[in-house]
Amino acid sequence: MARAITQIKKEVPNQELEQSQAVSEIIQELAANKEAILQTINIIKGLHETKILEAVTSMIEQRTEIGAIAIQQINQPSMHNVIKNGMSAFSFLGSLQPEQLNTLLDGLGNGVKNISTPEQDAEKQSLWKLRKRLGSPEVRVAMTTMFDFMDGMGEVLLRNKQEKS
Amino acid sequence: MEESTFSIEINGKTFKAKPGQSILDVAKEQGVFIPSICYHPSLGTIQTCDTCYVNVGGELVRSCTTKAVDGMVVDSLSPLVQEAQHEAIDRILKNHELYCTVCDNNNGNCTIHNTVELMEVEHQKYPFKAKPYPPDNSHPFYRYEPDQCILCGRCVEACQDLQVNETLTIDWSREAPRVIWDNDVPIDQSSCVSCGHCVSVCPCNALMEKSMLGNAGYLTNIPPKILAPMIDLTKEVEPGYREIFAVSEVESAMRKARIKRTKTVCTYCGVGCSFEVWTKDREILKIQTHAEAPVNGVSTCVKGKWGWDFVNSEERLTKPLIRKGDEFVESTWEEALNLVAEKLGTIKETYGPDSIGYIASSKCSNEENYLFQKFARAVMGTNNVDNCSRYCQSPATTGLMRTVGLGGDSGTIEDIMASELIIVVGANPAESHPVLATRIKRAHKLHGQKLIVVDLREHELAQRADFLVHPKPSTDLIWLSAVTKYILDQGWEDKEFLKNRVNGFDSYVASLEKYTLPYAAEKTGLTEDELIKLATMIHEAKSACILWAMGVTQHKGATDTSTAISNLLLITGNYGRTGTGAYPLRGHNNVQGACDFGTMPAWMPGYEPVQDKEVRERYEKAWGVKLPEEPGMDNHHMVEGMDKGKLKALYLFGEDMSLVDANSNHVNAAFERLEFFVVQDVFFSKTAQFADVVLPAAPSLEKDGTFTNTERRIQRFHKVFEPLGDSKPDWEIFQEVANRLGANWNYKHPSEIMAESASLAPLFAGVSYERLEEWNSQVWPVLKDGTSTPLLYKNRFALPDGKARLVPVEWTPPFVAGEEFDLHLNNGRLLEHFHEGNMTYRSEGLTHKVPHPWLEVSLQLAKERNLEDGALVELTSPYGQVQVRVIVTDRVKGNELYLTMNTREDTEAVNRLTSSYHDTITHTPAFKEMGVKMEVIESKGESPLPRHNHRFGNRVPQLSVRVEDKWRRSDFTPIPELIQLRGDEYGESNHAN
Repeated sequence: MARAITQIKKEVPNQELEQSQAVSEIIQELAANKEAILQTINIIKGLHETKILEAVTSMIEQRTEIGAIAIQQINQPSMHNVIKNGMSAFSFLGSLQPEQLNTLLDGLGNGVKNISTPEQDAEKQSLWKLRKRLGSPEVRVAMTTMFDFMDGMGEVLLRNKQEKS
Repeated sequence: MEESTFSIEINGKTFKAKPGQSILDVAKEQGVFIPSICYHPSLGTIQTCDTCYVNVGGELVRSCTTKAVDGMVVDSLSPLVQEAQHEAIDRILKNHELYCTVCDNNNGNCTIHNTVELMEVEHQKYPFKAKPYPPDNSHPFYRYEPDQCILCGRCVEACQDLQVNETLTIDWSREAPRVIWDNDVPIDQSSCVSCGHCVSVCPCNALMEKSMLGNAGYLTNIPPKILAPMIDLTKEVEPGYREIFAVSEVESAMRKARIKRTKTVCTYCGVGCSFEVWTKDREILKIQTHAEAPVNGVSTCVKGKWGWDFVNSEERLTKPLIRKGDEFVESTWEEALNLVAEKLGTIKETYGPDSIGYIASSKCSNEENYLFQKFARAVMGTNNVDNCSRYCQSPATTGLMRTVGLGGDSGTIEDIMASELIIVVGANPAESHPVLATRIKRAHKLHGQKLIVVDLREHELAQRADFLVHPKPSTDLIWLSAVTKYILDQGWEDKEFLKNRVNGFDSYVASLEKYTLPYAAEKTGLTEDELIKLATMIHEAKSACILWAMGVTQHKGATDTSTAISNLLLITGNYGRTGTGAYPLRGHNNVQGACDFGTMPAWMPGYEPVQDKEVRERYEKAWGVKLPEEPGMDNHHMVEGMDKGKLKALYLFGEDMSLVDANSNHVNAAFERLEFFVVQDVFFSKTAQFADVVLPAAPSLEKDGTFTNTERRIQRFHKVFEPLGDSKPDWEIFQEVANRLGANWNYKHPSEIMAESASLAPLFAGVSYERLEEWNSQVWPVLKDGTSTPLLYKNRFALPDGKARLVPVEWTPPFVAGEEFDLHLNNGRLLEHFHEGNMTYRSEGLTHKVPHPWLEVSLQLAKERNLEDGALVELTSPYGQVQVRVIVTDRVKGNELYLTMNTREDTEAVNRLTSSYHDTITHTPAFKEMGVKMEVIESKGESPLPRHNHRFGNRVPQLSVRVEDKWRRSDFTPIPELIQLRGDEYGESNHAN
């Protein structure tokens, strides 16, 4: 004979027992990582003393407000330019041929090395001497390259001007 | 026969095409990208998005509507075609803000995102413009955000022509068109049945599951205060969409790490919808449908789409319970299992194996049912094993086995869709088999399928029917036989079919003698004209299917009525061809599978009789035991056995018998007499209250297995979560109990159980988990090589000589409660809840839609008894009484009542009223045969059905989205007009002709 019953005796988890188990697990972990923990405490202490912790706490509490302010600051014409320029710079880099750039940069490096000497030695050169140096193959290659560069740049500048007019 | 194919050329390459395919179909099939947003494989062409323009013969045409023809040359890449496509996408982006990284729909399957990306759109021509409407958040499960809506009309097409609930339209007449519900009411107050079709097919985030919002992405829960300027910023600095998409794709990829997608099969009815469950830890984000799902495609109903909260319910059983005195005490598995084994063992020793009964579950898997019957037969030595099909479908099974040989639907949902005539007898598919009903509604609305409904109630399909007949209760056998006789009298029978494929013609025809039209008219209350019209419609249809359910099977003459249905189909030759056959609609997800895999007292798995020596020997050899030879007790016998003290113990799983068996007072009294009772369930059910041991089981989302739907289709479901708490999959529990009783089983995965069953039952010879991977399914009988049989009886019937059998049947008059019980009580399920609601009431949204059961009362009776919505009445039958609140409706007529069964309260449960009378052959209770008297307790009160239930909505039927109205708008310029082709793009390719 078994009548319908609805009473269920549930095993209520023993809170004290669960808590003491949790605590002992935590202590075990602490002991196993003693060095790291002590160092972390030092960091936290420093952060606390310099009031940084306090500031971070407030920021977390007010995250929505601060987030709104931050995004508003970013959402300004000048920041738009920064982001756009940043992205343009990336795409500019992408458009360059690595070998060409490499040669150019090597040349630039060597050139810079060269200019460091006259500053120290500071020997004054006459116009004649300078004109004579224009004839050297090194300077002529550099000058040709510069003219080629100006050709290309001018081409784009002219095109843009025509497109706008 | 192989379909003929021809070739077309797209962008200079040749592709094979089939007749009837559009250019877009061919392109999609062969992996050629042509943009398309409104097109959806389950919906077809809608023509609203205009992104799929291509150039054919120098003209811009929509590739979704233009049929491919032999030798056609298509160009989708030339600059002007591209310009046309880009104009279209620009128009779309005017309506949709691209903030993908912070959008919950950024899961890799967003149609707009993917199309914009593949089209390599860099900037949009028309700036985004918000619409002047706030989002609609009124519905508990989904929200509509007009600002993100591109007006593609997929949702409208799905609602109007796939689900055919006819709630959504686009109002093209406003300055800013939008989707509206009914006549522009909040979603929650509309006729929306919450099926989720619209949300599933939305190509973006305009319609979304609320469970996804702010939940699916890493950045989607940002407060609006920050989100809006963030979107502005992104747009301000936007270098082009490619860079933005790079970020959103990283985010989308990150989501894959934490959102798990698992295929499952729905457990809410016998249709067998399959879909993915998206989860984040134990949280269900959404149900995601797939066009590849074999039965349902993108379709779901309200329960399948939203009703899964129960899995994480606080009230789940998570530890075994043992009755100690007047309370249940939580125990360990060890203690509970030892007790079960010891008690069952002792009772078997003391009173013999047949003193214990085993009740299986049609909600559990094939493997679990197989294992349970193996436990009962091989370990415990009895055939006393049965399942809940005894409450519903056993008469249909028996009726079919008698006449055509196999107890299952004779075809699939494809046949139902293809049929010229559907006859629905005593079934309410729109609520009980919702997705199957959508296919009938669609064929009826779009393809001229005829629909006859025979029912007491004017349910949804009845309202849509071409011909609705309402016979007197329990007289179906008479009109069926009279119609059959009339068909024979007219010489309309399929003579060739009968001659070649059917036995017993003469004696059957003789048995129809008394079913004349006047006799039938007198007994059924139908007119002779109605009977003739029925016969004529059946005669005129080249193919017909008859669908039936509890309105036929829960009667004293249920098996015979099911037989009469099959007889009618045989006489008219409606078997073995596409679009024909008998379809007993299985109510629960695995009613079919539970029976198939042997939890029946007279049948081994695969419908082989336990009395057949050869069959027994096959299993005896495999299992290494001696099997009992005689059929055991069915559910009904078991209740009688408990009552008489013959049955001492019962092991039941996944069945709330205390509420769902007829005459529940009697059943509960029988439970009280048991010496030992084990109940295994997901929840502490009403039945569990009588148990000695309650074992916590895991639902389908927490285990692997297969279910078999009403079509005989076997489908695989996968584990989504680990079992909650200490609960376990049912098959594991059976194994542990069995091993304590000496079984020595060692199944590690359900696939091993299926492999064993397939090796023993010829019906499932080729069934295997390997063949059921992904969206694959198998329809039994499955041959050794894995071949399915979607359509039965093409060449032979499943009877010894391959011929069907006409079986003469007699009408059984229904149970009559007595004169004072003057009202007829009908009862059944409803759309929003599964059965008594043990699972579905755990969903807040479902409970919001339907909080209580209700009693439907006709306008006439309401007037007579002075009743209105909300009145409280007491119903009394000879067996008990209930108190329920009233809804006055024209769905029921005269003195016929309808009580819904969605309650767990004794005082409202319909089975307090039903009797123990039953079908004479299968012992299925006659749930549908009861008279009651009614007493008014309160003439006014709160309506049991809130106004925000779909039944109070106002449908707005139309065909598709009415794109012509869009085209007629003054601000619409057809893209071909805007972009004139110069004509030089055509002919660039070097094709031969």
